[in-house]
Amino acid sequence: MVAAIDVFIMAAFAMSYDLLLGFTGIVSFGHALFFGLGAYLVAIVMKSSGASWLPFLAAVLLTVVLAVGLAGLIGVLSLRVRDVYFAMVTLAFGELFAIGVEKWRTVTGGSDGFNFRLPEFLIDKNHVYFLSLFFMLASLLILRRFVNSPVGRVLLAIRENEPRAQALGYNTLHYKQISILVSGTVASLAGVMWAVAHRFVSTELPSLNRTIDALLMTIIGGTGTLYGGIVGSLTMRVIHDVLSGFSSSHIIFNRWLLIFGLIYILIVLFFPAGIIGSAAKMIGRWKERHPQIS
Amino acid sequence: MSIVITLMLNGLANGMLIFLIAIGVSVIFGLMGIMNFAHGALFMWGAYAGVTTYLATGSFLLGIAASGIVSALWGLAMERLTLRQVYGNHLAQILVTMGALLVLTEAVKAIWGPNIITVGTPTVLRGGWEVGGVIFLRYKLLTIGIGLGIFAGLQFLLNRTRLGMMIRAGVENPEMVRALGIRIRLVFSLVFALGAAVAGISGMILAVGQGAFGPDIGLSNQLLAFIVVVVGGLGSVTGTLIGAVLVGVTTSFMAYFLPDLAMAVNVGLMALLLLVRPQGLFSN
Repeated sequence: MVAAIDVFIMAAFAMSYDLLLGFTGIVSFGHALFFGLGAYLVAIVMKSSGASWLPFLAAVLLTVVLAVGLAGLIGVLSLRVRDVYFAMVTLAFGELFAIGVEKWRTVTGGSDGFNFRLPEFLIDKNHVYFLSLFFMLASLLILRRFVNSPVGRVLLAIRENEPRAQALGYNTLHYKQISILVSGTVASLAGVMWAVAHRFVSTELPSLNRTIDALLMTIIGGTGTLYGGIVGSLTMRVIHDVLSGFSSSHIIFNRWLLIFGLIYILIVLFFPAGIIGSAAKMIGRWKERHPQIS
Repeated sequence: MSIVITLMLNGLANGMLIFLIAIGVSVIFGLMGIMNFAHGALFMWGAYAGVTTYLATGSFLLGIAASGIVSALWGLAMERLTLRQVYGNHLAQILVTMGALLVLTEAVKAIWGPNIITVGTPTVLRGGWEVGGVIFLRYKLLTIGIGLGIFAGLQFLLNRTRLGMMIRAGVENPEMVRALGIRIRLVFSLVFALGAAVAGISGMILAVGQGAFGPDIGLSNQLLAFIVVVVGGLGSVTGTLIGAVLVGVTTSFMAYFLPDLAMAVNVGLMALLLLVRPQGLFSN
């Protein structure tokens, strides 16, 4: 059940990543910053205030406010020059945040992390299970509604051809900024959910590896689909558990990220549509060949 | 006062190392429009391969040679096997180089393990001199010397040789260069391998200078290189040198007075530059 909860939460995180990568055409290497922000804010507030609802909700609210502020700052700094600057600047801010969390030992407990208490309701694993399932579905619906909205359509236009979107009179900077804000907010709430599910935070949460997880899930599942995040999250978890099972037989299975990295590169080079996109293509071709069935 | 000069010297040596990492990033971007997110991993391979050779043979020079060769080979493999497939597709380039960073870093962990490796400086390069309270460490002076030497060599290569002319022309207009019968793809590969080799050598120098290093050596230095490139301006050799010295000296002073905030100040420097002069100090 813990595995399922993790799959749900990471799926929501991956979908928020897909909004940037698959629907806006920009790459962030600091997405874990938002994840870590949400998780650590809730953890720190709950640790210092005790297990009651009011501070918890206040922490969630504060998370959203700070995520929007940070996303705005990163957007202002990095979007004006070149697309690739966004990847570089998010990497820099993400790493800075991760280093800050590790160094500020008095508040964050450094690399050891810390435990904290939650309201009684959130400790029951069944509640957490349904809450995270609900969170994933709500993220899916909200993000789907968003990408199908007029703003989302403009984002697709930017992904396909930014100069043309500009020529049509859209202030593309403005639209990209909105995309970052929405994506960062969902990612930070996924961080909150992670903290709730584990009642423990550590420096692994805001690390680059967490961003790479989202990247791998999105690419493996399929970019620009949203559902790809769910498929990717599930696939990675299953493969990870299978490979970990082999780890006693050969040392290479301990370095499962190496295997994932190779699969990832192959997908980017040869199957850019990922599992969902490739499956949709195959079904489409099959339907073309058998028109009488459909 | 003497402490300030000592710190400046340290900063200069740091800056030279950062320059050697960043120059590959900068020139590769200038020529091919590729931001190489795996550059830190090439740097890291240089450190591991170089130090292993040095520890096995006892020869520092052989170690340097090994670091350059191994990183160049990885760079070449990366360019030939992956990047070649996605020329012109910026999104795929960023994604593929990030994948290469992951794979190369994990490969290092698989071969050498995740633990810290310690290494001593060769006896000839240990110690230094003290002149009027200012400390001149031999290794730092050597670092500055190698950095300046490679800077001069690159300037010569880019501005005074036929290959350099092709590279500069390729930066301006690769299609035109190709139309003139020059195999620009081959030039791309060469530049990529050269940038990787320089990064690898700097990895070896930094690893031996620190005396101890682990698998996180790649990413942290890649980050510094990126900051330098943003500050100095992409594609500019002089801008990269100035930016690197600036970041190196800042890091050196911060490491002495407020070590915990060193990275924050560097990222702050980058943020400030992006606000007031987003194209970098030396770019038009």
